Amino acid sequence: MNKPIDDAPPLLATAGEEPWREDYAREIRAEKAVRNRSGVAIKPLYTPRDWNGERFAEDIGYPGQPPYTRGIYATMHRGRTWTQRQLIGLSTPADYNARLLAIIAQGATAVSLIPCNSVYRGYDMDEVDFEVLGTCGVVLNTVDHFDTCLDGVDLARMSCSLNDPSPFTLLAFLLATAKRRGVPWNSIRGTSNQSDYLSHYVANHMFFRLALPAARRILVDHIAFCQRHVPQWNPMSVVGQHMQQAGATPAEAMGFAFASALQYADDCVAQGMAPDAFLPRFTFFFDISLSFFEEIARFRAGRRIWARVVRDRYGAKDPRSWRMKFHAQTSGVDLTRAQPYNNISRVTVQAIAGVLGGLQSLHTDAYDEALSCPTEFGARIAVATQNILREEAHLTDVIDPLGGSFYVETLTDEMETRILSAMQLVADAGGMCEAVAANLVQRRIGESARRFQQAIESGEQTVVGVNAYQTEEDRSARPALARPDPQRMRSHLAAFAVHKASRSAATVTAARDALARAANDARTNVFEAVIAAAEAGCTHGEICTTLRREMGFGHVQALV
Amino acid sequence: MNAISEHALDALRAGDRRAIARAISAVENDDPRAGGIARAIAPHLGRAHVIGITGAPGAGKSTLINALLGELIARGQRVSVVAVDPSSPISGGAVLGDRIRMGEYGAHDNVFIRSVSSRGHPGGLSRTTGRIVDVLDAAGFDAVIVETVGAGQSDVEITDLADTRIVVCPPGLGDEVQAIKAGIMEIADVFVVNKAELAGADATVRDLSEMLRLRPRTAKVVPVLRTSAARGQGVAAVVDAALAHAAAVGHGRRLGALAEAARAAPRAPGAPMGGGSVSGQRSPHAATHAHIHSAPRSAERETEAAERIARLAARDPFVAGLGLRVASGRAGHAAVTLALTDAHLNFNGTCHGGVIFALADTAFGLASNSRGLVAAGIDAHIAYHVPGMLGDTLTATAVEVSRTRKLAAYRVDVAGADGTPVASFTGTVYLTARPNEPDAPAA
Amino acid sequence: MDIRPKVLITKIGLDGHDRGSRLVAAHLRDTGMEVIYTPPWQEIPTVVKLAIEEDVDVVGVSSLATDHLIVPKLVAALREAGLNEVAVIVGGIVPDADEDILLEAGVARVFHPGTPLDEISAYIREVTEKIRTARVSA
Repeated sequence: MNKPIDDAPPLLATAGEEPWREDYAREIRAEKAVRNRSGVAIKPLYTPRDWNGERFAEDIGYPGQPPYTRGIYATMHRGRTWTQRQLIGLSTPADYNARLLAIIAQGATAVSLIPCNSVYRGYDMDEVDFEVLGTCGVVLNTVDHFDTCLDGVDLARMSCSLNDPSPFTLLAFLLATAKRRGVPWNSIRGTSNQSDYLSHYVANHMFFRLALPAARRILVDHIAFCQRHVPQWNPMSVVGQHMQQAGATPAEAMGFAFASALQYADDCVAQGMAPDAFLPRFTFFFDISLSFFEEIARFRAGRRIWARVVRDRYGAKDPRSWRMKFHAQTSGVDLTRAQPYNNISRVTVQAIAGVLGGLQSLHTDAYDEALSCPTEFGARIAVATQNILREEAHLTDVIDPLGGSFYVETLTDEMETRILSAMQLVADAGGMCEAVAANLVQRRIGESARRFQQAIESGEQTVVGVNAYQTEEDRSARPALARPDPQRMRSHLAAFAVHKASRSAATVTAARDALARAANDARTNVFEAVIAAAEAGCTHGEICTTLRREMGFGHVQALV
Repeated sequence: MNAISEHALDALRAGDRRAIARAISAVENDDPRAGGIARAIAPHLGRAHVIGITGAPGAGKSTLINALLGELIARGQRVSVVAVDPSSPISGGAVLGDRIRMGEYGAHDNVFIRSVSSRGHPGGLSRTTGRIVDVLDAAGFDAVIVETVGAGQSDVEITDLADTRIVVCPPGLGDEVQAIKAGIMEIADVFVVNKAELAGADATVRDLSEMLRLRPRTAKVVPVLRTSAARGQGVAAVVDAALAHAAAVGHGRRLGALAEAARAAPRAPGAPMGGGSVSGQRSPHAATHAHIHSAPRSAERETEAAERIARLAARDPFVAGLGLRVASGRAGHAAVTLALTDAHLNFNGTCHGGVIFALADTAFGLASNSRGLVAAGIDAHIAYHVPGMLGDTLTATAVEVSRTRKLAAYRVDVAGADGTPVASFTGTVYLTARPNEPDAPAA
Repeated sequence: MDIRPKVLITKIGLDGHDRGSRLVAAHLRDTGMEVIYTPPWQEIPTVVKLAIEEDVDVVGVSSLATDHLIVPKLVAALREAGLNEVAVIVGGIVPDADEDILLEAGVARVFHPGTPLDEISAYIREVTEKIRTARVSA
């Protein structure tokens, strides 16, 4: 029916919240209760009634000022862009070096090194099945290998992020390499990526880990040593990503990560370290899921929580202690095998959330990352995505552009509540070590994983190409696995055997014995002993095996 | 096809892992082969030491079992574990993750682990577990560990299958010691307070010891031990206590009268089976029904008699010297075994007749003295059927055939491990009025 | 015949991500199956021993990274131990080209990410029924 315009009701008479609510109720076809992944109820509209800026000064403030909700630096990405840190690792040290130099030539500003899974597990290359060598990371077991990996890279200028499980042999190799090249240790910059052993206990299970008490001691030794001798190194990388990949909600992942961080900080204080001495070198590593606004709100809430906790709990006075610095990776769990090119869109959305959330460093997954070690083609798109967001979409022109949004500020408060609740769960159990030993954290994560799976199975959560919008499978879009060249790997193995045989057996044995003694002497810094062993020519596997024998191994629980 | 093939039985008794696993599946699922398996293995039961381990969740049972496995293996034993897990009540499915917590030694060649869920087994979980224990017993394992989760009623029934029952407690129970189900407290032969490195362990040991002290003086001695299983501490003492307990009460306690008789019965048809409440007919389900009916009606008296027999045997120097072992006993019945070694042979290389006589006479003596009064042997005869061979294990089973006020007569059948009759013995005793244990109450 | 499949869910090789294997194990339990579940990093001889002692019908290997490359070794070890009817299935990330290699090596089926859990349990039930029926008539 066509009503003449003059007869239309006057606009002002139908303005306001109540009329909107009525219109909404009338026009919405099927009202569905919406909750985000952390369980927060999401309304269709947010208004000044939800958030009106009353507590702007205390809770929001300005970038670079506590509680850092808007960002940890005054200039944020407008001043200095986030670090584009694409994780790479594959095959032999020579192959890795070639790829690294190529990436640097393309503009990468930092080095990242992912060792082969065999290294993660504490093995040398001659201790595992040949088929699995070098498929997901570089096979490096000695100082020489490390030297080759970083051939042509100025260690004093490039920041190196190493995926380096306890007992941190890779850093030991790096320091030995630096010594060879005459680069002073106090100019070495970088991060012991994922040094958070608790996250490996709880989820992911990738890193070699000693029994919990041993891992606990070695981490503190590591932090103490770096503080004294490698002061620009970040020895502590607290990981929320593993737990989120294992199924924890975004709030749980951050809450448990903070709880782990508190455990580590407590352990450092117990060792006599001053909070302001080690806290500035704590960094965080988070996942960025497809839940766009939830992630932005979470990062803002996280900065606020961390700033307050470290001041209250540790009396930290240095502002650098209060700042939650974090690296983020787009979440691989959200990517699909079906219609893989869709993953480019997914990664883009995740990356935007991370940028608007104020990260310091970003890794964007290649579209095929869920399927295999990413191909060059996929990796290039991933890097280009970051450049497009920064330079074409101008995402960095404004700091915390979503600040002041009625929705985002409300959601930030809600996420803060849920993150604190996860932290409280752990605190009630007596700390993260206790909570993990009692399987509380693992169980919680398992429940969240199951809930999410049920949502997908029931169709409640759509996954394009998987439970909706499916198409005929197009095999051509799925690339073959990138495999290391078997010839080169065999040569690498052979050279390794020659190298081992050419060492002085007496020197190696003495070094391993010294390491064993250090492991059994609570007054010795075990990491320092690891460096000595590396310099004496011990291999990664030899170092891990020795410590495993002396200190015990941390087995994975069979919990379902 | 209900019978089990010779080949399969041989494989099982030789310890072939697949044959054992298949036999367990058959008795677990109650499939057509189950009856044949039970029949075939019936003569080969009673050798294994069955150890029941139970206790509240959180006590670290699996870690303790792993440590026990290590200790037993080190002592040269072949050990099997039956890990009983609860099942999901709704669907009847289960995730059996317990065996992996015994990871370290679970992969050892001398260890066999089987997980059992409590899904709807016909006849109940304890019956099924009993059948599984029988298969493992027949397969020649030195020890069969039965682990149950929790301390509920079915756990009490399952631990009834055991010769030695170990109850594991976490530290810090304190006043909650009272809360431990009464059934569990009664059955424990050994208490272990695990995670002894934690605070509260001392208090728990004290509380348990106190509770035990309050029980009647004739109650058995129950050691309270402490372990740090994760650190391997205190485990050797637990094994020592278990072995000492087994030496006193013997192996195969679960088998009871029916199965005893079924084992000892000669293969020749028509031969009488023995007195008491045992039916003359050798039912195909004798071995299995034993588990249902083995709880004797006058339970306390049977246990008392059995324990008396164990005590009498324990203080007999000749029993120890010859290597005889009490397999089972109750009022008027006793079964004694002897594994034949070089020391038992005569100049012809077969078992010395005097050894067989001693074996039979020991069973005769224990059976006739089981009621607490000194019974003096006045007449005994033996007939030898076939020679005893080196390496065989002979079992002498004594049953009472007649008892008056002053006299009692017994028949003892001596059989080889495969049931072949080796000798038949008869004996008469004069019953005195003197108690054979002056400090203990009479039957 | 009330078939209650007995399934071993395990991970061999170097990878440690077990979210998928846990979800599958829980789902199979919820559909009434008996699951022997192991954490990651199992050695092949251990898996074989487990499969024998527990008399499983199906061995399910969860594989991310490139651990599927050693699944043929596991299949060979199972067959050598006399477990000829046990069905080996693989779930996880397996490139298309490698899927054919696995099937040729004796893997019964490969399940890719995104497969509904019901499809997995239905398949296991179907294959168990075949195995048990064949065993009875043998």
